[in-house]
Amino acid sequence: MSTLLIKQPAALLAFLKARPAMWIAFLAVAAALLIGLLLVHLIGVPIGDAVAAFAEGAWGSPYAIAASINRSLVFALVGLGFVLADRANLTNVGGEGQIAIGGIVATAVSLYGHVSDLPFGLAFLLPLLAASLAGGLWGGLAGVLKARAGTNEVIATLLLSFIAVWMVYGSVQSVALLRQPMTHSNTLPESLEIPDPTKLPLLTDDYSMPLHSGLLFGFALAIVVALVLNKTVFGLRLRAVGLNPLAARRAGIAISASVVGVLFAAGALGGLAGACMLQGEQYSLKAGFSSGYGFDGLVVGLLARGSVVGVIAGALLFGFLRSGGINMEMVAAVPTALVVVIQGLIIVILAGAALSMQRWEVER
Amino acid sequence: MFILPEVGQAPPPVAAPPALLRLQGMSKRFGSLQALEDVSLEIAAGEIHCLLGENGAGKSTLCNLIFGVYQADSGSMQLAGADYRPSGPADALSMQVAMVHQHFSLVPDLSVVDNLLLGQARGVLRRSECAERVQALSQRFGLQIDPWLRISDLSVGERQRVEIIKCLMREPRLLVLDEPTAVLLPDEIAALLEVCQRVAAEGCGVVLVTHKLAEIQKVAQRATVLRGGRVAARSEQPAADLDALVQAMIQRSGEARTSPAAPSYQREAAGQPRAEPALMIDGVSVKDADGVTRLDNFTLIVEPGEIVAVAGVEGNGQSELAAVISGMRPASQGRLFVKGRELTGRSPRQITAAGVGVVPEDRHAVGCVSGMSVAENLFLDRLHRFSRYGLLDRKRMRAAALELMQRFDVRAASPDVSFAGLSGGNQQKAVLARELTLDGLSFLLAAQPTRGLDVGAVEAVYEHIRAVCAQGVGVLLISSELDELLKVADRVVVLYRGRIVGSCTAEPGERARIGAWMAGQAA
Amino acid sequence: MSVEMAAVFIGSTIRLAAPLMLSASGELLSERTGVLNMSVEGMMLTGAFAGAVGAWATGSPMLGLLIGVVAVIPVALLQAVLSITLRANQIVTGIGINILVLGATTLAYREIFGGRSRAEIPGLDKWAPPGLGDIPIFGDQVFQQAWLLYLGLALIAVLAWVMRYTALGLALHSAGSAPRAVDKSGLSVNTLRYGAVLFTGMMSALAGCFLSIGDIHTFTEGMTNGTGYLAIAAVIFGNWKIGRTLLACLLFGAATALQFQLPAMGIEVPSALLIMLPYLLALLAVGGLVGRQTAPAALTIPFVR
Repeated sequence: MSTLLIKQPAALLAFLKARPAMWIAFLAVAAALLIGLLLVHLIGVPIGDAVAAFAEGAWGSPYAIAASINRSLVFALVGLGFVLADRANLTNVGGEGQIAIGGIVATAVSLYGHVSDLPFGLAFLLPLLAASLAGGLWGGLAGVLKARAGTNEVIATLLLSFIAVWMVYGSVQSVALLRQPMTHSNTLPESLEIPDPTKLPLLTDDYSMPLHSGLLFGFALAIVVALVLNKTVFGLRLRAVGLNPLAARRAGIAISASVVGVLFAAGALGGLAGACMLQGEQYSLKAGFSSGYGFDGLVVGLLARGSVVGVIAGALLFGFLRSGGINMEMVAAVPTALVVVIQGLIIVILAGAALSMQRWEVER
Repeated sequence: MFILPEVGQAPPPVAAPPALLRLQGMSKRFGSLQALEDVSLEIAAGEIHCLLGENGAGKSTLCNLIFGVYQADSGSMQLAGADYRPSGPADALSMQVAMVHQHFSLVPDLSVVDNLLLGQARGVLRRSECAERVQALSQRFGLQIDPWLRISDLSVGERQRVEIIKCLMREPRLLVLDEPTAVLLPDEIAALLEVCQRVAAEGCGVVLVTHKLAEIQKVAQRATVLRGGRVAARSEQPAADLDALVQAMIQRSGEARTSPAAPSYQREAAGQPRAEPALMIDGVSVKDADGVTRLDNFTLIVEPGEIVAVAGVEGNGQSELAAVISGMRPASQGRLFVKGRELTGRSPRQITAAGVGVVPEDRHAVGCVSGMSVAENLFLDRLHRFSRYGLLDRKRMRAAALELMQRFDVRAASPDVSFAGLSGGNQQKAVLARELTLDGLSFLLAAQPTRGLDVGAVEAVYEHIRAVCAQGVGVLLISSELDELLKVADRVVVLYRGRIVGSCTAEPGERARIGAWMAGQAA
Repeated sequence: MSVEMAAVFIGSTIRLAAPLMLSASGELLSERTGVLNMSVEGMMLTGAFAGAVGAWATGSPMLGLLIGVVAVIPVALLQAVLSITLRANQIVTGIGINILVLGATTLAYREIFGGRSRAEIPGLDKWAPPGLGDIPIFGDQVFQQAWLLYLGLALIAVLAWVMRYTALGLALHSAGSAPRAVDKSGLSVNTLRYGAVLFTGMMSALAGCFLSIGDIHTFTEGMTNGTGYLAIAAVIFGNWKIGRTLLACLLFGAATALQFQLPAMGIEVPSALLIMLPYLLALLAVGGLVGRQTAPAALTIPFVR
């Protein structure tokens, strides 16, 4: 179907016309990319060179593709959490912290949880699970504050993010925590590399295309989240809570439990994302581990407007955008900050268009 | 002199005193609703003029026309003989026409003085100067207020005084008070009326809007009754014409029905040996956030198969009663039993599980999720029926929804269309369909179930209510439509200021008595 | 602790708290009018960047400061248009702007300075109030600060006075507490909010300039590094009151200063703990665990008549 759409502009137009939200998202991305190209031009780099460097870095080699997709997976997991919470009209901006917590716990369990000798892949599954649980608790904490004290979940998740990010920093600074043993004076402030059995197995056999098995979890969870949102009783209840909490309460839906539950789930997805980053790619915990991916995931979730397919599309877009951007800097001397500008533009345009989008949807 | 004017006839000539404000043939339409039609009125300087009418009679619209919030479609106004066409509230104020709204617009965390200065002062605030003016006004009109207190520390009555002072600081020629007594306690009403008298004594025209004439009959010099947007009656001696005015107010537009149709279902439960009461409310009181008692020691028993109506003008505790019964709000005192089971302080979920169906007063806020489909709304409280391993069987839900929609004549293109797209009548029928098909339904609370519905839909709603009643369900019907509740209910209790002030069987002969109770005249 | 160390500690606390105090008092105003302005971070970064570039290009830190303040206007207007006129989610808007500004300033910095990073940037002079600067030890360590700090404190004092004693302050406060009452009184809620957001922009720009041309005399990419969010945390912790917000800023500044002070005193406390302390305190505050928080009633709620 998608190839049909691309080949027939008229069909694409009709397709988008029926989905105004998607249309605006599409426009926002297109506009931001255009401005990006304009900036490349203003910087004085030939657009052809920049695009070539971008393409090389994004999908120019098996390694590049794998790196892009691995990155997309992280964005997608965080984005899925955002969309899930958004269904109950909760804005989870804590992806960054949930990733950080996931990374810390995955590192701790992998290194010191005596899991490396466990059979059946438990060696890498247990750290994943523990990281998800920890991320869930981190997210659920914001839910508890909301249910108990009415704390705005945006502020709570944001503050929790900062705390978690500095926890990463703190835990790799101290040998008593996760820092590798100090063998000499310039031992880097980072954890030991996790044991091989706790690393996520590669889907391909060699490191020339290091796609890791976290991707499978990502796919499975995307399906689960899509099911939860569209096919389950829980998803419908969340929607009721989001649309009209008073009527939902009257209908016997437990508002507090829904709020805590859905933020727990969103946090767990973020925690899993952190574990995937650690056990699938980085293998050791460093300060700045979360790399702002939580905010990228947030943008992906915003872009998706409640659709799981949208999350996947947005995650791939940003995953490749990031990889391409990095290569653009190395090869074509276009600062990777350009990608950040593009992301910022997309959020700003979408936020500004939200009201008219709502009106549009109501009218239809 | 009590006059019921003929339709289209000009208002009777009023002798003295000369008119301060003269309204002629004012009409106002909102979409399909004719809010006001050909209303003529005169208000004299120094008089207290009472504007009576039920909710939706057009009182507020009239006030808003006078205050310039809306412009009339036709008709004209004259203020002290000159053409008066206020373009907005600010314009009205500049011509010394002031209005105290039903909803206060005060900043709760600021002092009285600061509230009075907001929007009035420029530059550096001269608070003590303002406080002195307040004190002067206080003494002149008998408005007791400490200008330095914060609004949030004031009672509702005191807050109203601040609003009145806000108006009086502009030295108005005409002061309009929209439902000023609705929020007040009895002794506060007395104080308010005294203020009004003093204001009028200084030559200001005062318009008092209310649906409770009894409270203000002593001070009202003239009264005009609005009904359905038209002038239904006028009186030069409201105190003497009280009964007739109340009747004019509560009569249904023109077609006063003499005898209601007999219930179409025989009540099986009636006369049988007594079962546990469907509902027992024992001494329930509710206080609002301001500490004002909204429902006062309310005690009532509804037997199975019985329809008890709670009559009363809106705002006399009905919403609080409904909120307590449906579990949306805790009672400050008292207990609640359904079929002998105590449900005091239970959650809405537990109350629903105990077999209590609720048709809420505010359909949009509480009764439905308008952004969801008809089918989803029909089963929101019993989704587990269509759940297998947590997955929603939409096919089955759709089929069940279709069946319910047929049974209750809910007209929609399909169960999947948005609930918001349904007409009011169909929305209400859908809510009824959900609540009446509750598992083990033993009691139904129907709050204003026919509000905003056309005649056909009203009949359908009552048919359904009678039908469940015939199966032994106890029904508590909260309504301000006297005709309807007389027609449907077995028994009527009247709420006034949160208390039951009277009860009787629902017979047409009791209409006058009920009307009097509703207007606040003691039994 | 010796007297010298105490003086150094107090001095660095004030220096570290200064940008917080400036931006937090700006943020306080916009929150009091009902706009949770998440883009303080971006506004600060804009100010830091434009101030540095301006000072470098003109050779005059004074002009740099002016350029910094002017450059923040479009950013503040963007925030205002989106969150007030278009009624966009204030938080999402703010985060978007922060990301945008981070990208844009980094990009522009690379373009302008390229390889010559750490370029010499003329900075603002230090100044001490007459008399106070002559106090032994303390005069030099505590009171000798970039004069922008004293300008900022004066501005904050003016703000506090306006809020307390003028009709404008009354209206600004009411716009966040009871916007409907403001509207009824004939004032425009949205105009008040626009003004507040622009003021936040100005104060944040000054805060940013303090970082770049006041404190370290250079610009580094993303140099605000979360200070803007910390300012928001200070407002929350200060319970939306100006005095308490300033105290919160000093507390946060002290926590940061301790990072450098404690090791010097031979006390090992994980610096991460000290850095995260402000956020933790703010979280406890919003969670209702530290006293009762009363946010402006209409905070984050766009006004619709």
